[in-house]
This record gives sequence, structure tokens and C-alpha cells, in this order.
Amino acid sequence: MSMWSKMGLATAACLLAGTALAAGPRGGTMVYARHADSLFLDPVLNDANVDIWVLTNLYDTLIIPSNDGKSLTPGLATKWQASDDGKTFTLTLRPGTKFSDGSPITAEDVVWSLDRARDPKKGIWNFLLVSVDKVEAKDAATVVLTLKNADPSLPAALATFNSAIMPKKLFEASPGATDDEKAKAFAEHPVGSGPFVLSSWQRGGVMKLVRNPNYWADGDDGKKLPYLDGVDFPIIPDDSTRILKLQSGEVDGAEFIPYARVKELQADPKIDMKLFPSTAIQYLTVNDRPNLADGSNNPLSNEMVRQALNYAINKKALIQIVTHGIGTPMRSFMSSTTPMFVDLGEAYPYNPTKAKDLLKQAGFEKGLSISSLALAGSADDVNIVSALQQMWGQIGVKLTIEQVDNATRDARYHKPDFQMRTGDWTNDINDPNEITSYFSYYPNIENQHSGWDNKESDALYEKSQSEADPVKRAAEYKTIQENYMKAAPIFFLYEVPFPVALSKKVDGFYQTPLGNNIFVRATVAK
Amino acid sequence: MNGRVGRRLLQIVPTLCLITVAVFLLLRLLPGDPISAMLGNRGTPEAIARLRAQMGLDGGVLWQFWSFARRLLLHGDLGDSIVRRVAVTQLVAERLPVTLYLTAFAALLSVLLAVPLAFVAAIWRDRLPDLLVRGVFQIGLSAPVFYIGLLMLGFLAARGHLFPVGGMGVGVVDTIWHLFLPALTLALSLSAILMRNLRSAIIAVLRAEYVDFARAKGLSPRLIMGRHVLKNALLSTVPLFGLNIGTLLGGAIITEYVFAVPGVGALMVDSIYGRDYPVVQGLTLALAVLVCLTFLATDLIETWLDPRAA
Repeated sequence: MSMWSKMGLATAACLLAGTALAAGPRGGTMVYARHADSLFLDPVLNDANVDIWVLTNLYDTLIIPSNDGKSLTPGLATKWQASDDGKTFTLTLRPGTKFSDGSPITAEDVVWSLDRARDPKKGIWNFLLVSVDKVEAKDAATVVLTLKNADPSLPAALATFNSAIMPKKLFEASPGATDDEKAKAFAEHPVGSGPFVLSSWQRGGVMKLVRNPNYWADGDDGKKLPYLDGVDFPIIPDDSTRILKLQSGEVDGAEFIPYARVKELQADPKIDMKLFPSTAIQYLTVNDRPNLADGSNNPLSNEMVRQALNYAINKKALIQIVTHGIGTPMRSFMSSTTPMFVDLGEAYPYNPTKAKDLLKQAGFEKGLSISSLALAGSADDVNIVSALQQMWGQIGVKLTIEQVDNATRDARYHKPDFQMRTGDWTNDINDPNEITSYFSYYPNIENQHSGWDNKESDALYEKSQSEADPVKRAAEYKTIQENYMKAAPIFFLYEVPFPVALSKKVDGFYQTPLGNNIFVRATVAK
Repeated sequence: MNGRVGRRLLQIVPTLCLITVAVFLLLRLLPGDPISAMLGNRGTPEAIARLRAQMGLDGGVLWQFWSFARRLLLHGDLGDSIVRRVAVTQLVAERLPVTLYLTAFAALLSVLLAVPLAFVAAIWRDRLPDLLVRGVFQIGLSAPVFYIGLLMLGFLAARGHLFPVGGMGVGVVDTIWHLFLPALTLALSLSAILMRNLRSAIIAVLRAEYVDFARAKGLSPRLIMGRHVLKNALLSTVPLFGLNIGTLLGGAIITEYVFAVPGVGALMVDSIYGRDYPVVQGLTLALAVLVCLTFLATDLIETWLDPRAA
């Protein structure tokens, strides 16, 4: 054998060894810098993304969404099956699963967790399980959900953070008289079923997770997941500091990279600048009522005026200004990553001539004055409304900007005492029903407190909630989206991905379109 | 002396009461409330009403104040954070020491910087060392804390690798190492104020007759400077230092943000934005106690420096 062929063989052997290790190195801690700390680690009672986006690392669900959110994979349940009439839903539990403290996960835990999650008095997520009438353990490995009506979104709901399985006995043994008090105590030292366990938490400083030795899933190397020994979440609120920390090698990843820094980090040879597909949309909520809170006439109640203003927004320019070219124009009220999204083409493509015509038809050829709330201190918000001021100025519309803080904006929005406000949205479930219930189903919150209503869409939404046939359901969602686009209850802007910067040593980490940060298969090369 | 301390401590009580009432009322005058801010886009009217009742926010302001005051006076309990669902006393206990550490470190650094440099500037008055010292401190005084912090992070930490890029250490040495840059950033403006004041005071004292007399007596320059000049020059600087501790605490909020130091700064800002009433009330009370105690300590030091002040 010649020296060259020996070297060739050696290389091949190395390559093979490399493939076998494709799962990457085991062990080590991944340090992931977050912009803000979690608040309350209870799957049912939380209400903030800073909790939701890390919760599934601590608490596992019966069903797990795929990375892209388009399909479902088995979690603590290995099988799930709806009956022919769709009114009974049977789950087969994975045998031999344990909580992080080593105690077995029983059917009783599952029943209790789902009953707690759907309790209308607890938290704000129970609506996701509203179709469930009864949860029962048929035997040690089977849990049966009896439904009020067929529910096509139930599997997705069981794959959502609030349906996570918690240890009933430990929770109930926590100090406190009420569920709320017990939850507070339990969330300080949660025992869960996810790939990681909370090991310490210095609020506002650093949260440390360590691997759950009892996690059920296997890695590509045949050993138990997760690959990492732990994940640290240092809290670094300042964007520049978070990026410096990554560049200096002190952290392995940093979330919420400002759009303005993405190009620079894409060029950095040590950094893997990720733009994870997301369900995040940016838009303006509009008060569509005939009169504003002060009783004055509201020109935005006229559909033609709203269409005109939508046509006058140069979304491509706006995307350049605010997101440095990272966003894409909205094509429906839901993001293109949402299941049952219908591509209606770019929403109201820029056409100032058409905008002027529509204004004239609506009787506003002399122009009009409107005002918008924007978040004080938010560069993106200020950029958006300033750009709109310019763009609308060209068709004779004068926009007044009122900068307020978040609490003031929300209070006036709920009242409702606003004409227009900046808004953003991310789905929490891999189903179109959540966003639709808030945007296009009047009985919930009057469609983003806009006051706009379309009876056909409301009826279709109700029908779609128990529509077992996915083809029919898709058709219902198509009409809902078409109705919404035509009425233009909001000003459509853009969708944006999640910008996350990682060290090149990191592999296997991902952020789902819902925003959940998933560390179960993450590795950090040494 | 003890009677004086006791009297001054008693005087603090009405101050604290006034601050507590004022903060309680001012917070409720702000538009918005914690529940609507917390739920934002997802708040259904039903959920908002239910959570408001659960958190005891559905009663009138007077009733809310009564239950807050009763808990505080009877149990020393500041209530629970509405947003974070933990006891405010726990949050304060976790995070206030960090801010105290940072502020004390910064105060120490500002003294260490100001005193020797004030002497240099005073002794070589209007000559090169004086101009240099004053020139550099002028920058410290006029540049925003935020900017100086980022510059230090960029050059000394991220590129120079001399210090960590923000965060908090574990153990005493590591903490000093982590907090050095934020403390220095915070110390710059205070040390500039102290230096300028001390410099003028030293110049004035150097002209005093008793200094000439000490020199004539043949006392060593070190004794003259240490015992006579410094002690007398400090008389006007100590109250200035005490008064500026409050400003230092305010500056700590921005510094903590830039350097990712988990003190009360970010917590205070988040809690105001989120209308987390109990946290803002608790933090304000804790900070007010601190500032009052600093003023008391300043008074005591002044008395020691100049017994006539008593």
C-alpha cells in the first residue's frame, strides 16, 4: 500500500469517525445571553414570552411540535387518536417516564395537569383547551379526553407549553393554601419532565439549568438526551453589551440581536448569525369605530380610507428603514409560517395613485388628520411611525405621533381610547386559531379592540373550531383571511424572523416559529 | 453623641412616611395598571378583571393603601410582586446588596481618585499637572455614563480582555474584578466633583495663617498636609460626598443596565414600566432608608471633623 493510499484510508477513517460523532460533543454548558429574565415559571399561570420561550426546557408536553412547527412528534405520549366523531381523544402514555426527581410520571399526573391547564379560573391560556369536557385515566397508560365538540387544534394545544405535565403530588405538597400560593412556591424549585432542571436562579442575574438525568429521549449516539450538561442564561439587557459578550467569547449565544447589527455579525467569521423563521408580525392596530373615545368622528371607520392608507405605505422602504431589509411584507393578517396561512399576495402593494383615488372617493380629497400611539424609547416604533408620517404626508394625510410607555399604551388600548397604535404579535400555538380569535373573531376582544366586525368571519371561525375535516377547515380559514384583507381593519406592515447570534461552536440549537428556545439537542464544541 | 444619633434617627421616620405615601399615590396616578400592562395584546376583559381581583387591585386607592400599610407595619411585609410573583422583601434582599456593593465600590474609587489628584492639582496650581487633572476630569464630568461605560467595555473588556464584559462575579475577588469597570464608570463623575471641590478647599487652607504657623514651627510637610490641610479641606467636601450618594445610586441604575449587573436598577425600571406597584414601593422605601442613613453618617463625620458643627 502506498503512502498516499494509507493517508487516504486514514482520512476516510477520520471522516467516518467524524460522522459517528455527528451528534457533536457531549457535555459542557451552553451560555445563552437573554435580554430579560423570566418572571414566573409556571406553565399555566405565566403570561409573558420571557417565560413561555424557555418553559418547555423544564416541562415536557405529551406531544412535541417539529422544529418548523408544521408537524407533531411524540413526547410523553407515544400515540394519540381522535374517535370517528372527533369527540373522544385517546392518548397512549410513554412507558417508564420519570420526573426530574426520579418519581414516575403517572396517568394521574397527566389528568391533573390537563385539568389545571383548562381551568377557566387559572391563567390566560385555558382557552386553548376549551373544547375539553372531561379528562380521565382509562388505565395506567391511557388517558381519554372527552370533548364538547370535535377539536382540530387539540393535538397542537397538547403540544403547547401550558399543557405541560407537572407532578401532582409534589405540587400539592408545596406550601400555601391556594393553587396560586402553591404555584409560587413550586415555581421557585420546579420539578418537571423536560430535558433540563432549574438548578439556581439569581433574579435579573443568571438562571442556571442542569440536565435532567431522567429525561426519556435518546440522542443520535444512543445515550440519553440532552447532550449538554447545562444551560446558563445570563441576563444582559443592553444590546451592545450582549453582542460584545458574544464576541469576547464569554457567552455562546445572544438573543434579540438588533436588526441594525445583523449584517455586521453575518460577516464575523466567529459568529453564526441565525435568522430563525418566526410567526412574528409587525402592524398597526386601528380603531375602526365611527367615533373615537372623545366622541369625535373617526375617518378610519371608513373601509376605503383604511385601504387608501394601506396602499400609501411603502412596505419595502419601511422594511429597509426599520429592519435593514430583514423583514418581508405581510401577505395576510397571519404570518406565512402559521398553519392554514393563505398567500393573498403582498398586502396592499405600494400604490400612491390608487391611495389618492380611494381617499377622493371616500370624500377626503383635501386630506385628513389622524394620530398614533407609539412606544416611547423603542427605536423600531419611532422609526415606523416617522416613516408613516412621511409616506402618508404625500397623500395629504397628517399623522400626529403620541409617544407613551407600554403600560399607558395597553391601558388606552383596552379602554379603547386610541385611533391607532403600533403592535406586534407572535403565535403561541402551532394553529391559526389563537391569532384568528384575537384578530378576526369579534366576541373575544373585539378584534384587537378595533371594533371592526365581520359576521361571516365570526361564524366561520366558530365552525372551524370544530371542523374535523382539514380541507374544509382550510377553506374556512381562506375566506376569513380574504374578508380580513379586504376590510383592512389594521395597517399591514411586515413579518420578521428571530435574529439570534451564536458562536460557531454551537450546533443543534433552534428557536421555533413560536419563539420557544430549544436546547435539547444543542451542543457546544470544546 | 448617642442622644444626637437617636434624635436624628427619629427624624428619619416622618421622612420615610412621607416618601411612602407620595410614591404610593404617584404610582396610582400614572396611566395604566399592572394587569393590563402584563396581559397586553392577550388581555381579554374577563382575564383582566379576574386577575385584578386576585391581586387586590379592584378596591379603591385608600383601601389599597390601608392593606399595604397594615401589612408593612404589622408584619414588615412589603407584599408580593405582581409581575414576578415573589415577595418584594425577597427581591430587595437579592438585589439591593449588589447595588450597595457597586455604589460603595464606586464611592471608594471616587475618593481614591479625588483625594491624591486634588492635592496634585492644588500644589501645582495652574501648572501642567493641574491642567491635566482638571482637563481629564472635565471629560468625566461631561460625558454621559452610558457612553463611557460602552467605551470601557469595548476597549478594556471585549478587545483588551483585561476585564469581563459585564455580569456579576462569584466570591469576593471575582466580584471585585467584575465590578471594577462599572464602579469606575460610576465613580468618574463623582470623583470629578469631589476633586474640584477639594482642590479649591486645599488651596484656601494652604493660604490660612495656621498653616503658615505650622510651617514656621518646623512641622514636617507630611504632618501639615495630613493633619491640618486635609482635615480642614475635607470639611466642605464630606457633605458634598454625602449629598451625592443619592446621585450615585441613580447613576448605578444606568451603569447596571450597560454592564448587566443584577442590582436594583433594572428591577426598578422594569417595575415602573410594568406598574408593578409593590416592587416600586418596596425599592423606593429601601433606597430612601439608605439615603437617610448616608446623610446621618455624613453628619456624624462632619461633627468629628469639626466639633463646632454639632
